Formats: sequence, C-alpha cells, structure tokens
Amino acid sequence: MAGTFAGIIDAARKKAVKRRLAISSMKKPDLEIISRAAREGLVVPLLVGDGKAAEALVKKSHLASLEHEIMDVKDSGGSLRAAVALVREGRADMLMRGADDLKTFMNTVLDAKTGLLKDKLASYISVFQLPKSDKLVLVTDTFVNNYPGVTEKQLILEQAIKLAALLGIEAPKVAVLAAIEQVNPSIPSTLDAAVLSKMSERKQFGNAVVEGPLDIDCALSHVAAERKGLKSVVTGNVDIYLVPEIESGYLLAQALVFVGKMGMAGVLMGVTKPVILNLPFVSRENRLVEIALASLI
Amino acid sequence: MIRSLDDVSRIAGEKGPKKLAVLAPEDEEFMLAVKRSWEAGHIEPVLIGNSEKMEKLGEKVGFDISRFERIIESDRQRISDLGIGMLFSGKLSIVSKGQIPTAYVYRSIIRAEGKAASGMTVSVVSFWEIPGLGHLTAFTDTGVSIMPDYKTKVDILRNAVFLYHLLGYKKPRIAAISGQRKFGGTLDSYRDYKLLRKAADAGEFGECEVVHATSFAEIFLGPRGRLRDYRDIDLAKMPHIILVPRLDTGNILCKLDFFLDVTRCSIAVTSRGAVCIPSRADFSDSIVTELAMGVVVADRLEKEVR
Repeated sequence: MAGTFAGIIDAARKKAVKRRLAISSMKKPDLEIISRAAREGLVVPLLVGDGKAAEALVKKSHLASLEHEIMDVKDSGGSLRAAVALVREGRADMLMRGADDLKTFMNTVLDAKTGLLKDKLASYISVFQLPKSDKLVLVTDTFVNNYPGVTEKQLILEQAIKLAALLGIEAPKVAVLAAIEQVNPSIPSTLDAAVLSKMSERKQFGNAVVEGPLDIDCALSHVAAERKGLKSVVTGNVDIYLVPEIESGYLLAQALVFVGKMGMAGVLMGVTKPVILNLPFVSRENRLVEIALASLI
Repeated sequence: MIRSLDDVSRIAGEKGPKKLAVLAPEDEEFMLAVKRSWEAGHIEPVLIGNSEKMEKLGEKVGFDISRFERIIESDRQRISDLGIGMLFSGKLSIVSKGQIPTAYVYRSIIRAEGKAASGMTVSVVSFWEIPGLGHLTAFTDTGVSIMPDYKTKVDILRNAVFLYHLLGYKKPRIAAISGQRKFGGTLDSYRDYKLLRKAADAGEFGECEVVHATSFAEIFLGPRGRLRDYRDIDLAKMPHIILVPRLDTGNILCKLDFFLDVTRCSIAVTSRGAVCIPSRADFSDSIVTELAMGVVVADRLEKEVR
C-alpha cells in the first residue's frame, strides 16, 4: 500500500465488499463526510438514532441518492447501545461516534461485557502523513491510556505494529520516546523504553526494531543521534513513535496538527471492530481518511 | 519587546561582548558557534575543557583559541562545576553548555543555588521562533523537574514570567497544558491548571494571564470548536508561555524544531544569571542564537539588578 493518505483511500475504495458503518446519533456536520465516504464507495452508512430526524437530514443531502440505512432508536443513550450491539453482532462492520459525548461513547465501547473491547486495553493511534514524502508515521497512544506501565506499553506497541503491517510496513522501526536518550532510573519512561528495547532484541516484537529510550531529536535525526554517540537504524527513519504517557501523546499529536499543520487520521486499536472516535482536531478532509483506514482493518 | 531571534541577535551585537564560559566546546559545531559568536561581538569566551580536543577543534574551524582564557579540565562534572562556580561568584555573566550531558550542568546549578541559599527552583525555558508569528513562544520546564508538583510549577512559571518581562512582554499569555481529555478521569496537570489560573488571576505571578485552554486544540479551536481546514488555524493564538506538565512532554515538544519550521533556543534561569542550554545535537546556527539569547538576558538582568 502506498504510504500516503491517498493510498489508504484508494486501497479502501478497491475493497470488493463495502463495509457497513454504524453511526450513532449522527449530527449535521457529520453528514457531509458520511455522504462523501458513501459516494467514494468506501462504506454503506447505517444511521442509528431518531429515524425521523435522520431522514430529514438525509433528504437534504447527497446521501439520499446513495445506499444507506436508517435504524430508528428514540433515546440517545439507546442509539449508542444499539449501534455498538449492531457492530458486536456483526450486522455492521465498523462504528463511528456521532453526537454522543466522548466519555459516554468511550465507556460504552470499552465496556468489557457489552462493548467492543478485544484486548486487555485499547489504544488510539494517530497516523500522520509526512509532508513532501510518501511515508506514514504512527504515534501511539495519543488518546486512551493515561499513564501506561511497561506491560501496557507492550500491548500498545503490539497494536501499533499490527496497524503498521496493515499499512504495508512489515518491519517497523520504533522509537520509544523519553526526555533523554540515556537510561536514568529517576525518569521512569527511560526504564520502560530500555525494557521494550531489550524485548525487541530478543525478537519479542517480531521483525520490528525497537529503540529506546530516544529523545525526540535523536528519533527525528540520524545526524543528531550520531552527535550524541547513538548509532541505530531507527534514528531518523522512525515508523512508530511510542510516547511515554498521555500528556506527551495527546499534546504531541496536536502540536503536529496545529503547529506543523500535518495531516492526521486516528484509529482505535484493541477492539473487535474498527471504531472512529471523530475527534475535533481531525480535519474534515482527514475524516475521510479515518473512515478509509477503518474500513481496511 | 523582543519579537524574534533576529531581534535577539541584533541586541546581542549592541550589548556584547559579554564574558561567557563554554563547558566542553569539544565538538566542531560548538567550537564553530563560539567562533561565530565572538566574531559577531556577542561574547568573550572562557573555554573549559580538554586541552587537546579544544586545540584540535580550534584549528579545524580556523579559530585561534590561544588568545582566550582557557581552563584545562577533562572531568565532566568538574568542568560544569568550574563554569557554574564562575557564574555564581560573579566572574562572568553567562555560561553555556557545550558537548556535555545536561545532567552535569543542572547538578552544578542546583548545588550552587543550595550553597547560595537562594531558594530558587531552577528551570529551563525553551523559546520557539515560529515564522510570521510576531512573538516568541516558550516551553517550560524542559530540563530539570521530572514530574513537578503544583508548588514547583508555581516556581517554574514565576521564572518564565520574569524572563518574559525582561524581554519586554508586559502581560505574557500562558497556557498550562495537560493531557486532560473529555474521557479518562481528571489528571493532576488539569487540577494544577485550575489552581494556576486562580493564582494568576490573584496576581501571584505579576502581570500575566493563564488562558482558558489546556491543549493545542483548545488554544486554536476553543473549548467546543472543531478543525475544518488547516487554513483556518490562526497561529497568532499561540501563547507566549507554555507550561508543560512533565519533563518528558516538555522535551518532546520543544525539540520538534528538528522537524517543524521553528527555531529553538533554551535558557536555564538561575538566581545569578543565564545558562544557555543547547542540545548536544544542535548545529552551530542554533547555538549562536542560544548564546545571543544568553547575552541579551544577562544584559537585562544586570540592568534589573542595578
């Protein structure tokens, strides 16, 4: 697969079977992107919520002439539960958040009994397209876990490696980020990074090459790393950035979006079916990429 | 008000040269930066490090170092202690880290502050110049406190506000950022943000404002906004000071200059003056700017003290 957002959309478009996308409590601003995803042949939308309101919205949009379904559920809490149940029971292939507030949505989706959680934890991976190059990089976890320990980081990394493989990156180079590139027992992130790096040496992450701790300058620049006496195939050529905790992950992803103006699309991993969180810092254009990406998983 | 790093270089040229100790200029980029800063009239260097390495590098970059004061020392901690000792005894006004791990420098500063009984919390302010923005933005603390508690954040913020006032910013805008989302419980960094906002409103940090936002999304979109198009992002909303929740976050964000179209320069604020903190991976262009910032801060500190 080409390492670009356009490549992701192309690949999704070529899928023989269109995926059914359940959207709970769709709101007006979502309609445009859902219509576009349907028109591009990426998904068949399945709108779950107040049927009359949904019909009225659809009537005024391009979606009216495209294949779609509406499932009438009166109360808003009920529509989310119904949408999750549709996905869980296999009547829909993926889920997208509509008007539901994030907390309710996440708690419902990640409920161990009635939700969609598959692994011990879920993680949110921000996929960025590097400017002026055909390369995608993954940053994880940028939304779900607050302060993961090394056990959780192992799972988060495994989920990212899985997504990388789907994107055609078979032997991803992973930078486990920390404040410094040396192991310092006073800085817990450097210890976690060292452990993960050692696990990688022992092939516990398959073909992935995991290097850590790395500070961001060493991760981004091979020359910078060499000047600090660090030689690695990972430096300057990273596919996956594993951040130490949520403060760094959430803010790094947003810094790249708002200051770097880099395209970002995110996906929730560790769940039985793809879930699109519909976060406010994903641009209109990149929301289509999110739907395409989810349809490939 | 100093709006750009060009302003910084211009003022350093006007106010220099100032005596500056360089801790282990034992790398070509560092020695080249010292040479260029001296040629620009910003600094009068005192070189502390391994004699052979410094001489070799001086020759390599075409810089006759025999005319400057040199202190020969190879032990990393000793190098750092010597330079910081000179700053605290008033023998010079600025110190710059060279090719030496930062931990040695912070250790020297913290020990010196302890001896001086200054009560000062040492912190690092990393400035960013973003093209076209019209003001400097800075992340703090990007160097010392691994997981600062509220009290330490108060001190860190005081240092940064003091520095911004020195640079001519009358009422700096501050964002106390956090990983707080609408999911995942309440983080300590978010609780601290609320307290810091109250403290700022009560005038605890002097003239400044803690903005009602804890993430870049909130800074640029407001509490309920959503990003439609990248062309809608108004960088003018970038605050002057960004207080980071922990060292990992600060270091990761501030060094994005290796990737984004921004220029970084870092200064440690001590009770006795400025310590320039270039990264060991920085190139001479960037180090020259960091030294110039040190000169400007030292000059303004002298005036402040007078």
